[in-house]
Amino acid sequence: MDVAAVEAILEKYPQVRGNLIGILHEVQNHFHYLPEAELRYISKRTGIPITQIYSIVNFYNRFSLTPKGRNEVCVCLGTACHVNGAEKVLNAIEEKLHIKPGETTDDMRYSLEEVRCIGACSLAPAVVINEETYGQVTPRQVGKLLDKYK
Amino acid sequence: MTEMVNLTIDGRKIQAPPGTTVLEAARKEGIFIPTLCYHPALPPEGTCRLCIVEVSGSIRHSVRVSCIQEVKEGLVVETDTERLNHSRRLIIELMLGRSPEAKILQDLARRYGVTQNRFATGENNDCILCGRCVRVCRDEIGAYALCFVNRGPDRRLTTDFERLSEYCIGCGSCANVCPTGAIQVEDRGDQRKIYTWGQVLARFKLERCEHCGTPFAPKRYLELVNKRAYQPKGLELVEYVCPECFKKRDRVPEGRKAGALRQALKWSVPR
Repeated sequence: MDVAAVEAILEKYPQVRGNLIGILHEVQNHFHYLPEAELRYISKRTGIPITQIYSIVNFYNRFSLTPKGRNEVCVCLGTACHVNGAEKVLNAIEEKLHIKPGETTDDMRYSLEEVRCIGACSLAPAVVINEETYGQVTPRQVGKLLDKYK
Repeated sequence: MTEMVNLTIDGRKIQAPPGTTVLEAARKEGIFIPTLCYHPALPPEGTCRLCIVEVSGSIRHSVRVSCIQEVKEGLVVETDTERLNHSRRLIIELMLGRSPEAKILQDLARRYGVTQNRFATGENNDCILCGRCVRVCRDEIGAYALCFVNRGPDRRLTTDFERLSEYCIGCGSCANVCPTGAIQVEDRGDQRKIYTWGQVLARFKLERCEHCGTPFAPKRYLELVNKRAYQPKGLELVEYVCPECFKKRDRVPEGRKAGALRQALKWSVPR
Protein backbone atom coordinates (compact mmCIF):
# COMPACT_ATOMS: atom_id res chain seq x y z
CA MET A 1 0.00 0.00 0.00
CA ASP A 2 1.17 3.48 -0.87
CA VAL A 3 0.57 5.41 2.35
CA ALA A 4 2.62 8.41 1.25
CA ALA A 5 0.53 8.96 -1.86
CA VAL A 6 -2.74 8.76 0.06
CA GLU A 7 -1.41 11.02 2.81
CA ALA A 8 -0.35 13.60 0.24
CA ILE A 9 -3.88 13.63 -1.14
CA LEU A 10 -5.53 13.75 2.28
CA GLU A 11 -3.33 16.67 3.26
CA LYS A 12 -4.99 18.78 0.57
CA TYR A 13 -8.33 18.30 2.23
CA PRO A 14 -8.15 19.38 5.85
CA GLN A 15 -11.94 19.27 6.03
CA VAL A 16 -12.79 15.70 5.12
CA ARG A 17 -16.59 15.71 5.37
CA GLY A 18 -17.97 16.87 2.05
CA ASN A 19 -14.68 16.30 0.28
CA LEU A 20 -14.69 12.53 0.17
CA ILE A 21 -15.56 12.43 -3.51
CA GLY A 22 -12.72 14.85 -4.31
CA ILE A 23 -10.33 12.66 -2.36
CA LEU A 24 -11.55 9.54 -4.14
CA HIS A 25 -11.12 11.24 -7.52
CA GLU A 26 -7.49 12.00 -6.77
CA VAL A 27 -6.84 8.51 -5.49
CA GLN A 28 -8.47 7.10 -8.60
CA ASN A 29 -6.30 9.33 -10.82
CA HIS A 30 -3.16 8.34 -8.98
CA PHE A 31 -3.67 4.57 -8.95
CA HIS A 32 -5.98 4.33 -12.00
CA TYR A 33 -8.41 2.59 -9.65
CA LEU A 34 -9.40 2.51 -5.99
CA PRO A 35 -7.45 -0.23 -4.22
CA GLU A 36 -9.16 -1.81 -1.22
CA ALA A 37 -6.24 -1.26 1.16
CA GLU A 38 -6.12 2.44 0.31
CA LEU A 39 -9.87 2.81 0.82
CA ARG A 40 -9.65 1.12 4.20
CA TYR A 41 -6.79 3.41 5.10
CA ILE A 42 -8.83 6.47 4.10
CA SER A 43 -11.70 5.18 6.23
CA LYS A 44 -9.42 4.83 9.26
CA ARG A 45 -7.82 8.22 8.76
CA THR A 46 -11.04 10.13 8.15
CA GLY A 47 -13.42 8.23 10.41
CA ILE A 48 -15.86 7.74 7.53
CA PRO A 49 -17.16 4.16 7.80
CA ILE A 50 -15.84 1.90 5.04
CA THR A 51 -19.37 0.82 4.16
CA GLN A 52 -20.26 4.42 3.29
CA ILE A 53 -17.15 4.81 1.18
CA TYR A 54 -17.86 1.51 -0.53
CA SER A 55 -21.40 2.59 -1.27
CA ILE A 56 -20.22 5.84 -2.87
CA VAL A 57 -17.51 4.11 -4.89
CA ASN A 58 -20.11 1.72 -6.28
CA PHE A 59 -22.58 4.47 -7.04
CA TYR A 60 -20.46 6.53 -9.42
CA ASN A 61 -19.30 5.20 -12.76
CA ARG A 62 -16.09 7.19 -12.61
CA PHE A 63 -14.78 5.10 -9.73
CA SER A 64 -13.39 1.66 -10.30
CA LEU A 65 -12.48 -1.07 -7.86
CA THR A 66 -10.53 -3.05 -10.44
CA PRO A 67 -7.23 -1.86 -11.92
CA LYS A 68 -7.56 0.25 -15.06
CA GLY A 69 -5.09 0.61 -17.90
CA ARG A 70 -2.66 3.50 -18.25
CA ASN A 71 -4.81 5.02 -20.96
CA GLU A 72 -8.52 5.34 -20.57
CA VAL A 73 -10.45 5.25 -23.83
CA CYS A 74 -13.99 6.57 -23.50
CA VAL A 75 -16.35 6.22 -26.43
CA CYS A 76 -19.32 8.53 -26.27
CA LEU A 77 -22.61 6.77 -26.98
CA GLY A 78 -24.83 9.77 -26.29
CA THR A 79 -27.68 10.55 -28.68
CA ALA A 80 -25.70 12.68 -31.15
CA CYS A 81 -22.73 10.32 -31.25
CA HIS A 82 -25.02 7.33 -31.50
CA VAL A 83 -26.76 8.64 -34.63
CA ASN A 84 -23.38 9.55 -36.12
CA GLY A 85 -22.09 6.00 -35.90
CA ALA A 86 -20.43 5.76 -32.49
CA GLU A 87 -21.36 2.09 -32.47
CA LYS A 88 -19.03 1.45 -35.43
CA VAL A 89 -16.21 3.36 -33.79
CA LEU A 90 -16.70 1.34 -30.63
CA ASN A 91 -16.68 -1.91 -32.60
CA ALA A 92 -13.45 -0.90 -34.32
CA ILE A 93 -11.80 -0.18 -30.98
CA GLU A 94 -13.10 -3.44 -29.52
CA GLU A 95 -11.64 -5.31 -32.47
CA LYS A 96 -8.30 -3.58 -32.25
CA LEU A 97 -7.88 -4.02 -28.48
CA HIS A 98 -9.74 -7.32 -28.11
CA ILE A 99 -11.64 -6.04 -25.09
CA LYS A 100 -15.22 -5.07 -24.34
CA PRO A 101 -16.32 -1.87 -22.61
CA GLY A 102 -15.44 -2.01 -18.92
CA GLU A 103 -12.41 -4.20 -19.59
CA THR A 104 -8.67 -3.59 -19.63
CA THR A 105 -6.04 -5.03 -21.97
CA ASP A 106 -3.72 -7.63 -20.44
CA ASP A 107 -0.70 -5.35 -20.86
CA MET A 108 -2.55 -2.65 -18.85
CA ARG A 109 -2.09 -0.25 -21.74
CA TYR A 110 -5.74 0.53 -22.42
CA SER A 111 -9.09 0.47 -20.67
CA LEU A 112 -12.26 0.84 -22.66
CA GLU A 113 -15.36 2.60 -21.35
CA GLU A 114 -18.61 3.63 -22.92
CA VAL A 115 -19.93 6.97 -21.69
CA ARG A 116 -23.22 8.81 -22.20
CA CYS A 117 -22.77 12.29 -23.63
CA ILE A 118 -19.65 14.23 -22.81
CA GLY A 119 -21.19 17.50 -23.97
CA ALA A 120 -19.28 17.53 -27.26
CA CYS A 121 -22.23 16.75 -29.52
CA SER A 122 -20.95 19.05 -32.27
CA LEU A 123 -17.94 16.75 -32.56
CA ALA A 124 -20.00 13.57 -32.79
CA PRO A 125 -18.94 10.83 -32.78
CA ALA A 126 -16.50 11.71 -30.03
CA VAL A 127 -13.85 9.67 -28.27
CA VAL A 128 -11.98 10.81 -25.17
CA ILE A 129 -8.59 9.30 -24.45
CA ASN A 130 -7.27 10.35 -21.07
CA GLU A 131 -7.91 14.11 -21.11
CA GLU A 132 -7.85 14.51 -24.89
CA THR A 133 -11.09 14.76 -26.90
CA TYR A 134 -11.24 13.59 -30.52
CA GLY A 135 -14.14 14.58 -32.76
CA GLN A 136 -15.68 13.12 -35.91
CA VAL A 137 -13.83 9.90 -35.32
CA THR A 138 -14.16 7.28 -38.07
CA PRO A 139 -13.59 3.57 -37.56
CA ARG A 140 -10.57 3.80 -39.89
CA GLN A 141 -8.81 6.40 -37.70
CA VAL A 142 -9.08 4.29 -34.61
CA GLY A 143 -5.83 2.38 -35.07
CA LYS A 144 -3.67 5.47 -35.48
CA LEU A 145 -5.39 7.23 -32.63
CA LEU A 146 -4.77 4.42 -30.19
CA ASP A 147 -1.15 3.93 -31.23
CA LYS A 148 -0.33 7.41 -29.93
CA TYR A 149 -0.89 6.24 -26.39
CA LYS A 150 1.80 4.01 -24.98
CA MET B 1 -46.98 23.37 27.06
CA THR B 2 -45.98 23.75 23.49
CA GLU B 3 -48.37 25.32 21.06
CA MET B 4 -50.24 22.59 19.17
CA VAL B 5 -50.53 22.61 15.40
CA ASN B 6 -54.02 22.36 13.93
CA LEU B 7 -54.51 20.34 10.78
CA THR B 8 -57.12 18.26 9.03
CA ILE B 9 -56.55 14.63 8.03
CA ASP B 10 -59.28 12.90 6.04
CA GLY B 11 -61.77 15.49 7.20
CA ARG B 12 -60.90 15.08 10.85
CA LYS B 13 -59.66 18.07 12.83
CA ILE B 14 -56.44 17.05 14.52
CA GLN B 15 -53.99 18.66 16.88
CA ALA B 16 -50.38 17.57 16.92
CA PRO B 17 -47.23 18.92 18.55
CA PRO B 18 -44.94 20.79 16.15
CA GLY B 19 -42.23 18.66 14.61
CA THR B 20 -44.35 15.53 14.32
CA THR B 21 -44.78 14.11 10.87
CA VAL B 22 -48.10 13.80 9.10
CA LEU B 23 -47.74 10.02 9.27
CA GLU B 24 -47.26 10.02 13.03
CA ALA B 25 -50.20 12.37 13.52
CA ALA B 26 -52.43 10.19 11.34
CA ARG B 27 -51.38 6.95 13.02
CA LYS B 28 -52.11 8.47 16.42
CA GLU B 29 -55.64 9.11 15.21
CA GLY B 30 -55.93 5.55 14.01
CA ILE B 31 -55.83 6.55 10.33
CA PHE B 32 -54.17 3.88 8.20
CA ILE B 33 -51.39 4.90 5.84
CA PRO B 34 -49.40 2.04 4.30
CA THR B 35 -45.64 2.07 4.93
CA LEU B 36 -42.69 -0.22 4.38
CA CYS B 37 -39.55 1.78 5.03
CA TYR B 38 -40.98 3.65 8.02
CA HIS B 39 -40.01 2.38 11.46
CA PRO B 40 -40.94 4.31 14.61
CA ALA B 41 -37.47 3.97 16.11
CA LEU B 42 -35.55 5.03 13.03
CA PRO B 43 -35.06 8.32 11.24
CA PRO B 44 -37.45 8.44 8.29
CA GLU B 45 -35.92 8.18 4.85
CA GLY B 46 -38.91 8.24 2.52
CA THR B 47 -37.64 5.50 0.25
CA CYS B 48 -40.65 3.23 -0.21
CA ARG B 49 -43.04 6.04 -1.22
CA LEU B 50 -46.10 4.12 -0.06
CA CYS B 51 -47.00 6.66 2.60
CA ILE B 52 -47.75 9.38 0.06
CA VAL B 53 -50.61 11.74 0.91
CA GLU B 54 -52.25 14.65 -0.84
CA VAL B 55 -51.72 17.91 0.97
CA SER B 56 -53.33 21.30 0.45
CA GLY B 57 -54.49 24.19 2.60
CA SER B 58 -51.47 26.04 3.94
CA ILE B 59 -49.11 24.60 1.30
CA ARG B 60 -49.42 24.13 -2.43
CA HIS B 61 -51.66 21.24 -3.37
CA SER B 62 -49.29 18.35 -3.99
CA VAL B 63 -48.44 14.76 -3.20
CA ARG B 64 -45.99 14.47 -0.33
CA VAL B 65 -44.29 11.67 1.54
CA SER B 66 -46.06 11.66 4.90
CA CYS B 67 -43.25 10.02 6.88
CA ILE B 68 -41.11 13.09 6.17
CA GLN B 69 -43.69 15.87 5.79
CA GLU B 70 -44.06 17.72 9.09
CA VAL B 71 -47.41 18.92 10.35
CA LYS B 72 -48.22 22.52 9.61
CA GLU B 73 -50.90 24.89 10.80
CA GLY B 74 -53.90 24.73 8.49
CA LEU B 75 -52.67 21.71 6.53
CA VAL B 76 -55.36 19.67 4.85
CA VAL B 77 -54.34 16.06 4.25
CA GLU B 78 -56.06 13.32 2.29
CA THR B 79 -54.66 9.82 2.75
CA ASP B 80 -56.93 7.65 0.65
CA THR B 81 -57.76 9.30 -2.69
CA GLU B 82 -57.94 7.56 -6.06
CA ARG B 83 -54.90 9.49 -7.26
CA LEU B 84 -52.84 8.19 -4.32
CA ASN B 85 -54.06 4.65 -4.59
CA HIS B 86 -53.28 4.64 -8.29
CA SER B 87 -49.69 5.56 -7.45
CA ARG B 88 -49.58 3.06 -4.62
CA ARG B 89 -50.72 0.27 -6.90
CA LEU B 90 -47.90 1.11 -9.28
CA ILE B 91 -45.33 1.26 -6.48
CA ILE B 92 -46.46 -2.09 -5.10
CA GLU B 93 -46.35 -3.63 -8.57
CA LEU B 94 -42.85 -2.29 -9.17
CA MET B 95 -41.68 -3.81 -5.90
CA LEU B 96 -43.38 -7.09 -6.72
CA GLY B 97 -41.34 -7.19 -9.92
CA ARG B 98 -38.27 -8.04 -7.86
CA SER B 99 -39.88 -9.58 -4.81
CA PRO B 100 -42.94 -11.50 -5.97
CA GLU B 101 -43.00 -13.72 -2.89
CA ALA B 102 -42.62 -11.13 -0.14
CA LYS B 103 -45.64 -11.66 2.06
CA ILE B 104 -46.00 -8.07 3.14
CA LEU B 105 -46.12 -7.03 -0.54
CA GLN B 106 -48.68 -9.67 -1.39
CA ASP B 107 -50.88 -8.42 1.46
CA LEU B 108 -50.57 -4.86 0.20
CA ALA B 109 -51.29 -6.01 -3.34
CA ARG B 110 -54.49 -7.64 -2.14
CA ARG B 111 -55.50 -4.60 -0.14
CA TYR B 112 -54.97 -2.21 -3.04
CA GLY B 113 -56.14 -4.54 -5.77
CA VAL B 114 -52.89 -5.10 -7.63
CA THR B 115 -53.58 -8.01 -9.94
CA GLN B 116 -50.83 -7.75 -12.54
CA ASN B 117 -47.08 -8.12 -12.35
CA ARG B 118 -45.90 -6.34 -15.48
CA PHE B 119 -42.43 -5.66 -14.16
CA ALA B 120 -41.45 -9.22 -13.29
CA THR B 121 -37.67 -9.46 -13.50
CA GLY B 122 -37.45 -13.18 -12.92
CA GLU B 123 -35.69 -12.34 -9.69
CA ASN B 124 -37.08 -13.47 -6.39
CA ASN B 125 -35.28 -11.36 -3.85
CA ASP B 126 -37.32 -10.35 -0.84
CA CYS B 127 -35.19 -7.28 -0.26
CA ILE B 128 -37.20 -4.21 -1.24
CA LEU B 129 -34.29 -1.83 -0.58
CA CYS B 130 -36.17 0.10 2.11
CA GLY B 131 -32.95 0.67 4.02
CA ARG B 132 -34.31 -0.08 7.49
CA CYS B 133 -31.43 -2.47 8.16
CA VAL B 134 -28.85 0.04 7.01
CA ARG B 135 -30.38 2.71 9.21
CA VAL B 136 -30.69 0.60 12.35
CA CYS B 137 -27.11 -0.62 11.96
CA ARG B 138 -25.87 2.91 11.43
CA ASP B 139 -28.03 5.01 13.73
CA GLU B 140 -29.06 2.70 16.56
CA ILE B 141 -26.21 0.23 16.80
CA GLY B 142 -23.44 2.37 15.33
CA ALA B 143 -21.75 -0.59 13.67
CA TYR B 144 -21.96 0.65 10.04
CA ALA B 145 -21.76 -2.91 8.79
CA LEU B 146 -24.32 -2.71 5.97
CA CYS B 147 -24.55 -0.63 2.83
CA PHE B 148 -26.25 -0.44 -0.51
CA VAL B 149 -24.18 -0.76 -3.66
CA ASN B 150 -24.78 0.12 -7.29
CA ARG B 151 -27.71 2.00 -8.74
CA GLY B 152 -31.12 1.43 -10.25
CA PRO B 153 -32.01 -2.19 -10.91
CA ASP B 154 -28.56 -3.32 -9.73
CA ARG B 155 -28.94 -1.76 -6.30
CA ARG B 156 -28.57 -4.29 -3.53
CA LEU B 157 -27.67 -4.71 0.10
CA THR B 158 -24.23 -5.94 1.06
CA THR B 159 -21.24 -5.41 3.34
CA ASP B 160 -18.00 -3.61 2.56
CA PHE B 161 -16.29 -5.43 -0.30
CA GLU B 162 -19.04 -8.06 -0.09
CA ARG B 163 -17.18 -10.22 2.38
CA LEU B 164 -18.02 -11.34 5.90
CA SER B 165 -18.34 -8.13 7.82
CA GLU B 166 -15.63 -7.12 10.24
CA TYR B 167 -17.84 -4.43 11.67
CA CYS B 168 -20.99 -6.41 12.33
CA ILE B 169 -21.47 -7.14 16.02
CA GLY B 170 -24.03 -9.86 15.43
CA CYS B 171 -26.94 -8.19 17.20
CA GLY B 172 -29.46 -9.18 14.55
CA SER B 173 -31.22 -5.81 14.59
CA CYS B 174 -31.16 -5.72 10.81
CA ALA B 175 -33.20 -8.91 10.64
CA ASN B 176 -35.61 -7.64 13.29
CA VAL B 177 -36.46 -4.43 11.47
CA CYS B 178 -36.60 -6.01 8.01
CA PRO B 179 -40.21 -5.77 6.79
CA THR B 180 -39.93 -8.75 4.44
CA GLY B 181 -37.56 -11.14 6.18
CA ALA B 182 -34.91 -10.68 3.50
CA ILE B 183 -32.24 -10.73 6.19
CA GLN B 184 -32.20 -13.80 8.38
CA VAL B 185 -30.38 -14.71 11.56
CA GLU B 186 -29.74 -18.39 11.98
CA ASP B 187 -28.45 -19.77 15.28
CA ARG B 188 -27.23 -23.33 15.11
CA GLY B 189 -25.50 -24.64 18.22
CA ASP B 190 -23.10 -21.91 19.23
CA GLN B 191 -22.82 -20.47 15.73
CA ARG B 192 -24.75 -17.48 14.45
CA LYS B 193 -25.06 -16.75 10.78
CA ILE B 194 -26.57 -13.54 9.41
CA TYR B 195 -27.43 -13.82 5.76
CA THR B 196 -29.39 -12.30 2.93
CA TRP B 197 -30.05 -13.27 -0.67
CA GLY B 198 -26.94 -14.97 -2.00
CA GLN B 199 -24.60 -13.65 0.66
CA VAL B 200 -23.63 -14.49 4.20
CA LEU B 201 -23.13 -11.11 5.85
CA ALA B 202 -21.48 -12.24 9.06
CA ARG B 203 -20.72 -15.24 11.24
CA PHE B 204 -20.28 -15.38 14.99
CA LYS B 205 -19.60 -17.70 17.84
CA LEU B 206 -22.26 -17.36 20.52
CA GLU B 207 -21.35 -17.02 24.19
CA ARG B 208 -23.07 -19.40 26.57
CA CYS B 209 -25.46 -18.26 29.27
CA GLU B 210 -23.79 -18.76 32.62
CA HIS B 211 -27.02 -20.09 34.13
CA CYS B 212 -28.57 -22.45 31.63
CA GLY B 213 -25.60 -22.99 29.34
CA THR B 214 -27.50 -22.11 26.18
CA PRO B 215 -25.48 -20.18 23.61
CA PHE B 216 -27.32 -16.87 23.24
CA ALA B 217 -25.32 -13.84 22.06
CA PRO B 218 -22.08 -12.96 20.29
CA LYS B 219 -19.34 -11.44 22.39
CA ARG B 220 -19.15 -8.16 20.51
CA TYR B 221 -22.83 -7.62 21.02
CA LEU B 222 -22.50 -8.22 24.75
CA GLU B 223 -19.69 -5.70 24.78
CA LEU B 224 -22.04 -3.14 23.28
CA VAL B 225 -24.67 -3.96 25.90
CA ASN B 226 -22.06 -3.46 28.54
CA LYS B 227 -21.01 -0.14 27.09
CA ARG B 228 -24.55 1.14 26.79
CA ALA B 229 -26.28 -0.23 29.86
CA TYR B 230 -23.67 -0.64 32.54
CA GLN B 231 -20.67 1.53 32.00
CA PRO B 232 -22.59 4.82 32.18
CA LYS B 233 -23.63 3.73 35.66
CA GLY B 234 -20.05 2.87 36.58
CA LEU B 235 -20.78 -0.86 36.41
CA GLU B 236 -19.45 -3.75 34.39
CA LEU B 237 -21.39 -6.58 32.84
CA VAL B 238 -19.72 -9.43 34.66
CA GLU B 239 -22.05 -12.29 33.91
CA TYR B 240 -23.42 -13.51 30.65
CA VAL B 241 -27.08 -14.25 31.31
CA CYS B 242 -29.51 -14.97 28.54
CA PRO B 243 -32.80 -13.01 28.44
CA GLU B 244 -34.78 -16.10 29.48
CA CYS B 245 -32.77 -16.66 32.65
CA PHE B 246 -32.73 -12.95 33.29
CA LYS B 247 -36.52 -12.87 33.30
CA LYS B 248 -36.73 -15.84 35.65
CA ARG B 249 -34.52 -14.29 38.26
CA ASP B 250 -36.34 -13.44 41.45
CA ARG B 251 -34.19 -10.45 42.14
CA VAL B 252 -31.97 -8.19 40.17
CA PRO B 253 -28.38 -8.30 41.41
CA GLU B 254 -27.11 -5.45 43.53
CA GLY B 255 -26.76 -2.17 41.68
CA ARG B 256 -28.39 -3.34 38.45
CA LYS B 257 -31.59 -2.50 36.78
CA ALA B 258 -33.50 -5.10 34.82
CA GLY B 259 -34.78 -2.35 32.56
CA ALA B 260 -31.29 -1.39 31.49
CA LEU B 261 -30.56 -4.79 30.06
CA ARG B 262 -33.94 -5.05 28.43
CA GLN B 263 -33.39 -1.62 26.93
CA ALA B 264 -30.01 -2.64 25.61
CA LEU B 265 -31.38 -5.90 24.32
CA LYS B 266 -34.51 -4.43 22.78
CA TRP B 267 -33.26 -4.91 19.25
CA SER B 268 -32.02 -8.44 19.50
CA VAL B 269 -35.02 -9.94 21.24
CA PRO B 270 -37.36 -11.11 18.49
CA ARG B 271 -40.74 -9.44 18.67
